[in-house]
Amino acid sequence: MGRSGAGKTSMRSLIFSNYSAHDTRRLGATIDVEHSTVQFMGELSLNIWDCGGQHKYLENYLNEQRENIFGNVEVLIYVFDLETASRESEYQLYDDCLQKLGIYSKDAKVYTLVHKMDKVPDPEQKEARLELYRQALAKRSDLFKPEVFGTSIWDHSLYHAWSQIVHRLVPNMSTIERHLEKFRTLTDASEVVLFERATFLVVCYMTADMSITQSKYMTVSQAIKTYRNKCSAAQLTFQSFEIRNKNYSLLIEPFTKSTYILVITSDPEIEPAVTKANVKAAQLHFQDKLMI
Amino acid sequence: MHNYGGSAGSGRMVVSGNGRGGGGGRRNSTGLSYTHDGLVDTGLTTEAGSAADITQSKGEEDLAERRVLFMGMPRSGKTSMLTVIFDGMLPYDTLGILPTVQRISYPMVAGIMVYDFPGVDDYSETQFNNISDSVYEGEHTSLVYVVDSQGDLQASLSTMYSIIRTAQSVNADIPINIFINKVDGLSDELKQDIQQDIQSRVMKTMTYESLNSSFVQFFLTTIYDESVREALSRVVRRLVPRYSSLETILNSFCSKSSLDKVFLIDMNTKVYLATDSTPTDSLLYMFTCHTLEAIEEIMTMCNGYAPMGEEETGLQKTVVAMEGNTKIYIYQVNSYLALLCLVSLHIPRHDSLLEFNGSKIAKAVRKILPS
Repeated sequence: MGRSGAGKTSMRSLIFSNYSAHDTRRLGATIDVEHSTVQFMGELSLNIWDCGGQHKYLENYLNEQRENIFGNVEVLIYVFDLETASRESEYQLYDDCLQKLGIYSKDAKVYTLVHKMDKVPDPEQKEARLELYRQALAKRSDLFKPEVFGTSIWDHSLYHAWSQIVHRLVPNMSTIERHLEKFRTLTDASEVVLFERATFLVVCYMTADMSITQSKYMTVSQAIKTYRNKCSAAQLTFQSFEIRNKNYSLLIEPFTKSTYILVITSDPEIEPAVTKANVKAAQLHFQDKLMI
Repeated sequence: MHNYGGSAGSGRMVVSGNGRGGGGGRRNSTGLSYTHDGLVDTGLTTEAGSAADITQSKGEEDLAERRVLFMGMPRSGKTSMLTVIFDGMLPYDTLGILPTVQRISYPMVAGIMVYDFPGVDDYSETQFNNISDSVYEGEHTSLVYVVDSQGDLQASLSTMYSIIRTAQSVNADIPINIFINKVDGLSDELKQDIQQDIQSRVMKTMTYESLNSSFVQFFLTTIYDESVREALSRVVRRLVPRYSSLETILNSFCSKSSLDKVFLIDMNTKVYLATDSTPTDSLLYMFTCHTLEAIEEIMTMCNGYAPMGEEETGLQKTVVAMEGNTKIYIYQVNSYLALLCLVSLHIPRHDSLLEFNGSKIAKAVRKILPS
């Protein structure tokens, strides 16, 4: 959901259909609602409704089609354009949407993305603008507690926001996390990260050093996605990475049917071949027991 | 490493005082930088574009022995190309680069220097005469002339003939590389047509003016893909010390370890210094560049780790596998060079053998190219 030209279809294409940021320029306006189904983490299928943002469609959603649009919603992602012309009418629309959502699907989760953050170059100002939105939105939605993310298709902030969203959607996340932590301690790895196979979004991660935050893996998501696109130009399909130097050894490998795994080991005693064997052994366990 | 000659600064000021236009200012300032030798730090740091590793040389004497000279009309894309390659600037950001007013030098591996000259727009003007003839001297000098394929070809080519005439009068065997730049967004057919057109024009005129055209090469380039890097690689190849022994080593490495292709690549610029003698597919080279980029990005994530092995054994080894049997092995040679091998045959237990061979080859390369 969001106003016309906010960047809804752009971000959807980037995450789910392997577009590069430059390619999104070619996209036209979305007519009515575009439905798409994405298989995510094997079992989970996401129905994504990309709602066209033109005024007359929005009217339509809020009136005639409201039950259809707002019924059975698990997650509503509302996209704000940072450079919107009238913030007031934007908020008004947002309010209307949330109100309808409150009637038809009370348990939905709301995420608001303040998009096109790249227009503000200064990081401090970025934070200030975001805070402005946060305050304004906190006042408005009493039923939903929306999380606000600043995003841009030009850097990895978009991956960050979407990883958070996805993290919430995967049903047995806590079990996966527990098993992954076990795997990490058993293999003596410093960091283990699970990526979803198609989108390369971070599903979950476990580290020895607790201060590490998720945003650091977004560069990997982004790098591998761009690399995969470029590989296809040379008619090759990317499979795995293995980097070894004097500081650490890093392994990115296909894991289960729906995931990739990244393992970083910083113990010189551990041979990369051992890590590889461990990954192979764990693969079956994760695939069969956790159905991912 | 900034060391801007004060003479250039004062030259600028004189020009602005006279109230002359920007083009004139550029010419004069460079002119002065070669005639005066005063060393006053004027703090002019922005004009060169960016980069901390740019050194500004003051006289002609201190040009490196192995050098590539980048010349061309103003706005043909010389500085854009070089900042993209050497400073890692994004191609889309080069739009804001200011005209180069002074010669900038970029150090490459193996003692090769790349010099970016300010744009030359008219032979008769004073500025051109201030490029002393001695820059063309020496058997390890290569000239790159950048032509804007979308600009005034006639003017650009006539300037080029003047430069070639001067260069050949000093150094008859100087390799001349013509970069036909800004061919992005053109269809392959159109690109070929443009190259054909320029090539035949240049050859005709050079014969007519009785210039030696046997060392002229043409390249189609654009900063939006890896074509500039590839072109520069082929220019640099003739300047690499002991190139033939490097090639022999790489050839034997290729045949003995059944590799498809091997590059000796400079990690910072992704320009390759040497490769085996099989023909280089530009698509393949582009792919290797992307691979290196991806690795670089992934590695930025792991900055926090302290060394765990020794320097000697801890040289980086990277394996990138593709579906099917294609694999890319990258073995670090020293802090800036790496061997990049492409394999598409599956041989059991190949990995460890290849690693062993790779380390031997790396050792040989280190001996040939001492850092």
